[in-house]
Amino acid sequence: MRLVNENTRSRIRKVVVYAIYIFLLSSLQVSFPDSFSFLGQVADLTFVFVVLSGYFNGFWDGALVGFICGLVRDVFSPPAVIGLDGEVRVTAFIGAFTLFSAGIIGASFFTRRMHRNIPFSIVAVIFTTFCYKIAGYLLIYGWSILAGSYTSIYSPLTALLYSFLPQLLLNTVTAIPMIVLIRFLGPVSFKKTKQDDEILENKGGGTWLGI
Amino acid sequence: MKKLLKSKWFIALIVLLLLAAGAVLSLIPGSPVKNLLKPVQLVGSPSQSIVKRAGDTITDFWSAITDGVAIREENRALKEQIADLRYHLTQNEEAALRYEELKDALHIKDMFSNYVIYGASILSRESDEWFSTIRLNAGKADGIVLEEGNSYPVLDVEMNLVGRVIETSDTESRVLPLLHEGFAVAAKVNAVNGATFMVYGDAELKNRGLCLAKNIDPDARLEPGMEIVSSGDGGLFPEGIPIGVVESVDNSNPLEVTATIRPYSQIGKLEDVFIMIPYVEPEETTAPTASQGT
Repeated sequence: MRLVNENTRSRIRKVVVYAIYIFLLSSLQVSFPDSFSFLGQVADLTFVFVVLSGYFNGFWDGALVGFICGLVRDVFSPPAVIGLDGEVRVTAFIGAFTLFSAGIIGASFFTRRMHRNIPFSIVAVIFTTFCYKIAGYLLIYGWSILAGSYTSIYSPLTALLYSFLPQLLLNTVTAIPMIVLIRFLGPVSFKKTKQDDEILENKGGGTWLGI
Repeated sequence: MKKLLKSKWFIALIVLLLLAAGAVLSLIPGSPVKNLLKPVQLVGSPSQSIVKRAGDTITDFWSAITDGVAIREENRALKEQIADLRYHLTQNEEAALRYEELKDALHIKDMFSNYVIYGASILSRESDEWFSTIRLNAGKADGIVLEEGNSYPVLDVEMNLVGRVIETSDTESRVLPLLHEGFAVAAKVNAVNGATFMVYGDAELKNRGLCLAKNIDPDARLEPGMEIVSSGDGGLFPEGIPIGVVESVDNSNPLEVTATIRPYSQIGKLEDVFIMIPYVEPEETTAPTASQGT
């Protein structure tokens, strides 16, 4: 007689493996950022992990893993923002907001229609990184104008050369080992996600935002 | 309505709105919103320490293997140096005693004698260009008490400026690094009557590891290679903390001369730092509290 049924076992596996990856990757990123940096940018291990969790394991996995990774980021290295009064303050929940959004976007594009195709997961990482950079850049631009802090603004060319391109390159390279980890040593077995996809496919229709 | 409430997109939207509200509320001074992150900190900090220690052990082990021969040679040279230094130390002991006597007599002050220096280790660094504060393992329990609107300078082991403390919790402090766009320090050329100006972190220069010097007098002498130190103006940083060297000067607009500064401190390579807290006489208060610097 089995003490734990198949469903409970897969749930336990999911929670344990996610917990290990979340704390391991978050810790690695803030402990040894120089080991993953290029042209002043750091490979965003947790960001890539969140996007791929969403892409391979679905909306709720992406959202929840993104939310938890974001909270951890808010503790380990929160952003300091120049307030409207000119004082610089440490903020909370921006990490959670960012990575929660990344998990959702990762789960919404190139997923079912592409049958969670592995090469397209790299496209999902590139696309989400691009969205993150554009959104961050616009948000900082708007906030800087509002706060009257012009040291935060940089030209589009600098943003492209020193922010967008190195970050895209680093995240793309990081995605390759991360795909192997999630697919073959991941929280959900590859077979199970394939089965889920087939069930959804048979029901017909794509997802909202599905490409 | 039920369908809407169960919709994943509706739930995601609500979560995003709540997180955005939390982020805005956290900007309010003394906001309790940040306390919501304490449970995460309780779980996250020990696990990060384990990963960091494991990483350091692996790095040290690898260095021990690769640098073995070099270390043996260096060890031999250092042993010779120690013997030589011991000899000099004996010679200088008497001179040191004389200096202490003269120091008191002539009221010579050490540059930072009005500050209490606290040592701390770096727990975590930036995780990306926007999530860029540094976390230290010293907080209120260690005497780093920060009042609203105040800040403390943070230096590296060579006494070069690293940044300033902007937030403390019971066991940790957060540092705004010198390269962050919110950072500003009154500075001067380290020379007699050296030009004074402001040094700022700048988003455009940050990725190249540089700071921006502004408000420079057009007639001031400023050339690449000159050393820049804190001027002591503004009260937050004491005078004379080394910041870096001038990398380039832009005179193209005589009304707005700017320069780029390459900081001495390499944050990526730092392990330990020092926090400078203005010293307060014991009769005024029992613990060093946040008061503006000299």
